[in-house]
Amino acid sequence: MAGKGPGQERGRGRGRSEGPALPPGRRPSQGSASASRGRGGPGAPGPRRGMASYTKAAQQWATFGRAWYLLDAKMQPPGKIAAATVMRLEGKHKPIYHALNDCGDHVVIINTRHIAFSGNKWEQKVYSSHTGYPGGFKQVTATQLHLKDPTAIVKLTVYRMLPKNLQRRTMMQRLHLFPEDVIPEDIQKNLLQEIPQPRAVPKRLDEYTPEEIAAFPRVWTP
Amino acid sequence: MVVLSAARWLRSRLTDRFWRKLEVLKYARHFRGRKNRCYKLAVRSVRRAFVKSTKARAEKKRVLRALWITRIEAASLEHGLKYPVFISNLVKSQVELNRKVLADLAIYEPKTFKSLAALAQRRRQEGFLAALGDGKEPEGIFSRIVRHHY
Repeated sequence: MAGKGPGQERGRGRGRSEGPALPPGRRPSQGSASASRGRGGPGAPGPRRGMASYTKAAQQWATFGRAWYLLDAKMQPPGKIAAATVMRLEGKHKPIYHALNDCGDHVVIINTRHIAFSGNKWEQKVYSSHTGYPGGFKQVTATQLHLKDPTAIVKLTVYRMLPKNLQRRTMMQRLHLFPEDVIPEDIQKNLLQEIPQPRAVPKRLDEYTPEEIAAFPRVWTP
Repeated sequence: MVVLSAARWLRSRLTDRFWRKLEVLKYARHFRGRKNRCYKLAVRSVRRAFVKSTKARAEKKRVLRALWITRIEAASLEHGLKYPVFISNLVKSQVELNRKVLADLAIYEPKTFKSLAALAQRRRQEGFLAALGDGKEPEGIFSRIVRHHY
């Protein structure tokens, strides 16, 4: 099936069924710690049973461990970037999701300086705030805000897309924004998988090779 | 002298007040504040708790269904299918699994869920062929509707 990212280290769909011996009380209808979901990892293989199996510890780590995802925001609209990250921060990409489960993952967004608003939003979109003091209502356009702080637009977009509850601040702490390609060593070591970019970036004419231009079919002759 | 109305001079006094109050307080022991100790405050809180518990029975069905749908959506996205596509194609293939069972399969039986997703995808492709094709291709296998006579 499609939908598996490129460099994915964890296999999905490799679990072992518990069978009818499992008492009904252990079903995680409200989310519990006893799911034996098959997100097996490349950990120590268990005893060979005719096909690949995983130790229970490896399965547990793969199911419940907090993963680190990378997302490249170059030439992407910040709204779609935020939609993809909010899914991962909440944990709604996992079948064991529950609001009380604290199953969200970390997301690292790079190249936030190179996000691309569609339309005239760079001039027309306005970010408003109030300092609390009289006469302290401030309005800045997206361009001005982006020049002042290149991560602010993505940060605000993600913050406003998250559910408005007490877990929002925790989820924001698990979001890591970087204006350029440069990522600190300790975060780079944690990264597991790259989220595919939401928008297919079109190539400019000067990015096409002459062979590709020549191979393009001619629709009409002038 | 026999006084026959002696019994009427005994005023009946309540003797089990403690247990009557305990009957209510036992439902309030996990509350916060004085309403877990003091009967007059507990009575109000316990009554509200019971009312909320009654009304929540209808809401629980909605909440659980939404949770199942979220979980099925997450699992089907892992296999490259969106939730409405998955469910509609399963229904068209006459797979009458409800959302509760599908969510449990997604967690506990990932291989089964993967095969269900593949079934839905195949039925989807057959639907496209039937709608867009010329009709010269043979009819799909999974699109056949089996009528059961019970």
